[in-house]
Order: sequence, then structure tokens, then C-alpha cells
Amino acid sequence: MPILGDLLSRAMFLAAMPAGVGALVTAVLLVVSQDWRLNVLALAAQYFFMTLLMTQVVRVELAAVKGLIGWVICVVFYLTEQQAQSMASTTGSGEPMTVREWFTARVEAWRQTGISAQAAFSLMAAVVVGVTVYVALPSVPLPEVSTSVALVCYFLVGMGILLLGLSRDPLRAGIGMLMILSGFDLFYVALEPSLVVTGLLGSINFVIALGAAFLKAGEAVTADQEVVE
Amino acid sequence: MVAGMLLFLVLPLVMGGIVYALRRWGRLSALLSFLTTLALGTGILVFPLGQSLDLWGRQIVMGGTVSFLGRELILEEVDRVAIAFLYLTASGVFLFAWRMSPRSLLFPVGFGMLSLLSGSLLIRPLIYAVLLVEIAVVMSVFALQMEGGRAAKGGLQYVSFSLLAMPGLLVIQWLMDRYALTPDNVTLRDTAAVLLTLSFALLMGSIPFHVWMPSVAGDSEPLASAFVFTVNYGAIWFLFLAFLETYPDLTAYARFGSLSSWAGLGMVSVGGLLGAAQRRPSRLLGYGALVDGGVALIALGSATEQGLGLAFLSLLVRPFGLVLMAAGVRGLRARQCPRNPRMEEMRGLGRNASWSALAFLIGGVSTAGLPVSAGFAGRWSLYRAIGTSNLTSVLAMMLASVGVMVGVWRTLAVVLSAESAVAVEGAGREGERWADALVVVLGVGGSIVVGLAPQLVAPTAARLAGLYTFLSP
Repeated sequence: MPILGDLLSRAMFLAAMPAGVGALVTAVLLVVSQDWRLNVLALAAQYFFMTLLMTQVVRVELAAVKGLIGWVICVVFYLTEQQAQSMASTTGSGEPMTVREWFTARVEAWRQTGISAQAAFSLMAAVVVGVTVYVALPSVPLPEVSTSVALVCYFLVGMGILLLGLSRDPLRAGIGMLMILSGFDLFYVALEPSLVVTGLLGSINFVIALGAAFLKAGEAVTADQEVVE
Repeated sequence: MVAGMLLFLVLPLVMGGIVYALRRWGRLSALLSFLTTLALGTGILVFPLGQSLDLWGRQIVMGGTVSFLGRELILEEVDRVAIAFLYLTASGVFLFAWRMSPRSLLFPVGFGMLSLLSGSLLIRPLIYAVLLVEIAVVMSVFALQMEGGRAAKGGLQYVSFSLLAMPGLLVIQWLMDRYALTPDNVTLRDTAAVLLTLSFALLMGSIPFHVWMPSVAGDSEPLASAFVFTVNYGAIWFLFLAFLETYPDLTAYARFGSLSSWAGLGMVSVGGLLGAAQRRPSRLLGYGALVDGGVALIALGSATEQGLGLAFLSLLVRPFGLVLMAAGVRGLRARQCPRNPRMEEMRGLGRNASWSALAFLIGGVSTAGLPVSAGFAGRWSLYRAIGTSNLTSVLAMMLASVGVMVGVWRTLAVVLSAESAVAVEGAGREGERWADALVVVLGVGGSIVVGLAPQLVAPTAARLAGLYTFLSP
């Protein structure tokens, strides 16, 4: 994986504080946003930042493998959501739109209605979780990793659990589970940097993504049939 | 020469592929699944450990240690019985699924899960076992989803709880390795004990982490739920005991006996109480599983070899109750529309599906641990063993049995009623076929035979308990 490794090596200057902040911001975005396009983008960005953070603890090649698994998962989620949206549009319950139309519509919606009540609640809950993690961190430090990495680990696990609690949509629940795994993986890779463990954890990530996509597709088909009936 | 244990890892994967390819011919693939799991389950029990056998010109050796992808796979007597239990239970589930949901994804996914769970019993060190179990748990989402039904949220809950349990179990090994180097640092051991308790509480559905059990049963394919409650749950039990056996320091420190008793008491009480109040028969299956899990934990809580033997007995007879109940629910559900019907929506259905109603009744009786059923064998021995020392638990278990039976009785009163729900009109007038009756008779007969002659399984449970040393003083 020389090309990916080179790219990551060039982005190393982001590996400390910027990557940590990026991971936290994308986690909050994933909890707050209900827009699937934004969520897939945020998830892809989060995997990029997590890969950079991981380079602090393990070799670049191993971190790159984990990043690659994450990006493949993003592709799975993107294709599933796109399929679900296209099924909704054929039955009249949704409209297909280009990226430009989508962006314009989002900006217009924010300008007119501001933040929705659900998003405001999610944001508040995310802030509460974030503050709790920050306050509790000195009492339960993680071995073998720096304080900033430990903060990101706990924060991602907390946000993942929050997302699981707040979502009914299988894909969002799947993203919650993946965030929990990402947070734990960042810590555990420092304890057990073995390739087999990396492979098995990657398999768990991938099967979770496939499972969530499978449930989402099933839900879309059922909704489609109900509309037809 | 071929290492026999590899057959139990590779063959299910191959069969999973074949069965998936044959999905169009549902009955054929289901029958193939049943026969394969039955053959593998019987095979591992029959082939003697440590001896080689000639099979189609190839020598197969059971037992010993094999290196697989750089990790050690060890087949010991405990693993042999555990793998046989997983395969034979799966064959029972597949037999019912052959008649009741032959196109289900349970067959190919079930084979994949069996391979992973067998691997988890064989592989060392335990972190790999935890990871393999987790992959199997996540895979169960595919099997739990009902064809044409809404997303099985129960499956997602199940995966979420098990995912939260995984980090703790993975970190325990690191903590205990450090503790072995620095025995003065008791914080390491304390943290490991807390993580072990919390993780298995999540995996076993201990109160208050039990919510996934009724959810899984409520909105999923019933026979796939039964697979989760018996095969997956069985593998979790063996993993739990492997942890206790591997870390005797942790076992002694954590006073797991009283912890297990309290956890079991909570599960039994809540399961019995909520089971009696259920309005959806499928959720009753989940509460039945909760009660049964609680009983096994109470047995283990006595922290004696006899208690462990009774926990194993409860585990071995569990499929007779839960699989039959699930088959009953599936058979009754097949005759009307809603995916997770309330009792009222099932009014009168049992008159057209009397074999399914019988399966539900006998499964319920066995899960409640009442006489002339397999469940009674373990329950009665447990009452006698702990009756003098722990009367509260015995009373709680008896009340829980009453709770489960109230739920079963309320359901049967409705499904066997002379009136029919509106939804049933014309929704499935066809009756059950002779093959449906045959599989139900086999299951019910098996349950009654084990109930009348517990010596068929009790010695195996006692032998298994004798193989563990963590209870020795």
C-alpha cells in the first residue's frame, strides 16, 4: 500500500491536535445531522482523522488498512442510501436530486427554519456527553495512549452510544456501532497491534456495515411494497 | 492426515455456500442443512479423541493441537461436547425451519455462525474467541430479519449490547497479564473483575441489560430467535466458563458465586413477572429465555461442582423448550398477516394449526420447568440441591415458572378459542401437513422422553462439570 502510505505520511502534520479535533467534530456532526449525504461525508472524514490518530500508536501501514476498511464501509452506506432514496422516489415518497440541488436546499432550509428541535436536542445531548467524558477522563485514564487520544476514544464511544439511543434508522444505528468500535480500536491497537486482531476487528466493522445496509434495504423494500398496496 | 477439528470450521462454511446457492429449492436446502448439522454433531460425539479414523481413504485425527493461521486450536473433551451441543441444537432448529420457514436466511447464515462459534471454542488465546463470537453475533442480524418484514430492531439491539461487552473482554487478558507480572497492583485485577462482570451481564441479558431478549423474540423470525437463545447463548456460556477457568485469580476474587446468584434471581423474577403480562406470544419466548438463563446462573451461583453440573443440565435441555415454543409461534404466525401479532389477532388460529399449538404448549411447559418435560429434569434437581440453603431463589424460580405458564395459558386460551379474528378470514385456511405433524411429534416426544428419563443427559452435564477446575478449593 505504498501510495496510501505516502499520502498518510504527507498528512502527518495533522496527526496530533487537528486530527483529534476533526474526529470530535465529525462525531458531533454524525449525532446531530439527519441528512444521509452529510453523514456519509462526515463518516469518511472521521475515518481519515482516526487513521491519522492511529499513526501515533501503530505503523502507518496498519493504520492505512484500518482507514481503507472505513472508506469501503462509507461506500457501502452511500450505495445503500442511494438505493433506498431511489426506491422512495419511484413510489413518490421522495425526490432524487443532484448534489448541487441538495446543497442549495440545505442552505435554504437552514436559512429559513434554522436548526430543528431534534437536531438541537441531539446537539445538547452531545455536549452533555462531551463534558461528562472530559470531566471523567482523569479518573479513568487509558493505559499505553496519550491523554488526548484517550479523550478521543472515550468521546467516540460516548457519541456512538448516544447515536444508538437516539436513532431508529438502521444505518444511523450502524454508524453508532462503528463509532463505538472506532473509539475502542484506537485504544486497543496500542495494546494489541497484531495483524490478526486488526483483521478480525475489521471483519466485525464490515459485517456491521453489511448488516445495517441489509436492514435498511429491507426497510426500503417493505416501505415500497406498502406504498404500492 | 487431516485434523478433524478443522472439519467443523471449514465444512460449515462450504455448506453455507451450497445451501445459499440452493435457496430457490428451500425444502431441499433446509433438509441438507438439517442432515449436515446432525451428522457433524453426532460425528464429533462418536469419534474418539486422540485416535485416527479412516474416512474415504484419508486419516482423520480428532483432538490435540493444530496451528491455524498462526494461532493454536485445541480440541479437548469440553470443546467436543460443546461443539456437539451447538451442532445438534442447530439441527433441531433446522428441522423445524425445514417445515416452517424453508426459504429463511437462517440456513446459510447459521452455518457461518456455527463455524465461527466452533472456532471460538477451539482457539487460544481467548481474545480471538471473543472476536469470533462477536462476528457470529453480528451475522445473526441477517438470520433474524423476517422475509418481507420491517427491519428487525431486536437484532440491532442484540448486536449493540454484545458490542458493548466486547471491549471489556478483550482488555481483560492484557490486565491479567500485567497483574501476573505485578501482583501488588491489585487495581489491575479489580478492573478486570468489573469488566468481566459487566461484559457477561450484557451478553447474558442480566437485569437491567435484558431488553434485547424480548426485542429479539418480538420482531424477528422466531426460529432464528431460538437459534440465538440456544446456540449463541450456549457459546457465550462456554466462553464465560473458559474465562473463569483461565483466570482462577479473578474467579476467586470476584466472588462470582454470589454475583451469579443475584443476577440469576433478577432475571428469573423479571422474566416471570413480565412473561405473565405479555400480550404478544413471540415476546413470551424472550421472557422464557430470560427465566431459563436466570435459572442456569442461580445453579452456577452455588459455586459447587454439582451446581455447575446443574447449570450444564439446564443449558442442555434449554433447546427442548425454546425451539418448540419458537416453532409453535412460527406455525401460528404463518396463518395470518401481522408480523408480531398480539394475542387478540391470533384468536382461533390454533384450531387450524393444532400441531403448532401443541409445540407451543409443550415448549412452554419445558421452559417453565414443569413435569413430564425436558425442562423439569434440570429444575427439579436444582430445587433439591439448593432448597435448604437458598429458599428465596427456589421460590422465585417457582413463581417464574408460574409466570411463564400464565403467559402460555393465556395465549392458548385465545388461539384455541372457537371465534376467529377478522384478520384470519381467508388468510390461511390450509391446514398443517403430515410432515409438520411429524417434526412436532419428534420434538415433543424428545422433550417428554428426556423429562421422563433425565439420565439420558444428566451424566453428560455432570461429566462436563467435572472437567472444570476453577471450583476446586
